[in-house]
Amino acid sequence: MSAWLLMLPAVLLMAAGFLYPVALLARISLNRTNDMGAMEPAHSLETLGRLVEDEFTWELAWNTATLAASSALMATALALPVALLIRGAAPRWRGLLSLMAVAPLLVSGTARIVGWMAILGDRGLINAVLAGLGLAEEPLRLINNWTGVRIGLVESLMPYACLVLIAGLGRLDARLEEAAATLGATRFRTFLRVTLPLAAPALLAAFLLTFVLGVSAFVTPRLMGGGRVFVVATEIFDLALETVDWPAAAAMAMLLLGALAAAMLLRGLLGRRAA
Amino acid sequence: MRRALIAAIASMALALPAAAQQVGGRMTLQAYAGIFRDNYTQVVVNPFTSARGTQVQYHDGGTSAQMLGTLRAQKADPQIDVTIMDVTTAAIACAEGLVERIDASVLPVIGELDQMARDSGGACGPAVTYDHLVMIYDTRSVTPAPTRWEAMWDPAQRGRVALSAPPNIQGLALTAILAHAASGNWRNVGAAMPRLRELAPNVQTFDPNPDGYTLILNDQVRFATGWNARAQLYRDQSQGRIGVVLPEEGTAFQVNTINLVAGSKNRQQALAFMAHALSAEAQKAFTERMYYGPTNPRAQVSAEAMGRTALAPEFRNRVIPLDWNEMVRLRDNWNQRWRREVIAASGR
Repeated sequence: MSAWLLMLPAVLLMAAGFLYPVALLARISLNRTNDMGAMEPAHSLETLGRLVEDEFTWELAWNTATLAASSALMATALALPVALLIRGAAPRWRGLLSLMAVAPLLVSGTARIVGWMAILGDRGLINAVLAGLGLAEEPLRLINNWTGVRIGLVESLMPYACLVLIAGLGRLDARLEEAAATLGATRFRTFLRVTLPLAAPALLAAFLLTFVLGVSAFVTPRLMGGGRVFVVATEIFDLALETVDWPAAAAMAMLLLGALAAAMLLRGLLGRRAA
Repeated sequence: MRRALIAAIASMALALPAAAQQVGGRMTLQAYAGIFRDNYTQVVVNPFTSARGTQVQYHDGGTSAQMLGTLRAQKADPQIDVTIMDVTTAAIACAEGLVERIDASVLPVIGELDQMARDSGGACGPAVTYDHLVMIYDTRSVTPAPTRWEAMWDPAQRGRVALSAPPNIQGLALTAILAHAASGNWRNVGAAMPRLRELAPNVQTFDPNPDGYTLILNDQVRFATGWNARAQLYRDQSQGRIGVVLPEEGTAFQVNTINLVAGSKNRQQALAFMAHALSAEAQKAFTERMYYGPTNPRAQVSAEAMGRTALAPEFRNRVIPLDWNEMVRLRDNWNQRWRREVIAASGR
């Protein structure tokens, strides 16, 4: 009983800060938008049905899932050597190195993207260097397209992957790797056959966290996509703040929430079965 | 004694209308932020406060859609008294009962406005400013000065054009202008699509961030679309680096309306402010400051300022007869066609 009472503040906070807004969103998704763009109160699944039947919704879902998966994979892969380096460093340096790995989180996401725009732009740093060296006549198109969004998203997701991997790898028993080395395994073989399998849960956790963050990413696709990158989050923004179709924006948000909840549930079920 | 009495009576007579006009109190105005706020406050809001003693709290509303969101969220307990927003969003607010229906019997100054201003707001608030779509360009690198939209199609401008694609209203307006130029009918999106597909390879971004003016000043692009009032101001601020053209193929009005929020807690002050904002004096002051077209024809605007709006006689016939309320019904289809046929063809 006392445990439930201790949970009460957190439950109330969740109810006020998450459940109530989501319920409100679900309610708005049942409304209708008329020909003039005005929102009409209703209790109808018409808007949701219209979105499900629209091919473009599925294209958005595919775009979102593939962008998030590829970016999460890349961020996790790039974060792994960083986490291994920190794990292998002398204890007195680990704190500082860990801080450096997650330092980008201390800077506003929008400010980081503005920096990327200056570096990747058609007249940005990279193209200026290439042109200066005579390596490119035409600027490389590194921004205002999918390439730019992937670069920006991987960079913004990497610190999160680092955090998870540093924590996960820190728990590995170093004696197992020492035992492999004693038995004659090379460092690469030890990494491949001992470290990597042991790190698999941490890698999976890092991938899942960054995937979820990637699915809901808005700022990077919006600012670095140049209007060419359509994902669910940018579409929700357009529906809510350009066409002012709140029922459609809310319905789209509910679809995204449902898909993420289903993915997390599936992951839980698979994890339980594996255990 | 008699002289003193006459003087006292005369001063009372002069003071009476002023006293009758005095409103006092406070009210909240919701309108655009940034340079709109700075200039509107200086030449419209502050003179109103001086004349009427009413303190006006200026609420930065963001975009019109965000302002509509604020009105929806505050429907049960409105904190805003007057709102200035674009005509399509205002029409939604009107249909949802978020702003009051109003006419000349409530606000006599409406009778002074031109026909389009009265019609724009439908049953709700009338037009308070006219703006129009312009082409902006980098005067340092684009010579001779362009006069037509066609300049953006020049193959030499590959990757140097910034457009705001639909659902942004600049993209919708450009589409309507091109359709009108090609077929005489702004609704004929099919006539605009081939031209837009040809333009697509020149486009660096379909969503300029932070905006086209900044991209030009940073040498990222040479051409962009913009709204005239801001463009004129940025032209002055950049000492002519940004050029502004009302192209020969045509332009479209963007209309802002002023509305009384339903359930306003300061209705008297709100109506007084609306009367002031629509008056010839305020309209003249704001046009001369920021080059929005006046909706009150009695405004004696200087020829120089009027020449920088689409209401100048030489430009009036370039304004296409675009109906934004009709556009609301067309825009989903146009939006999809842009995505499938224009943006997909940009090949970046």
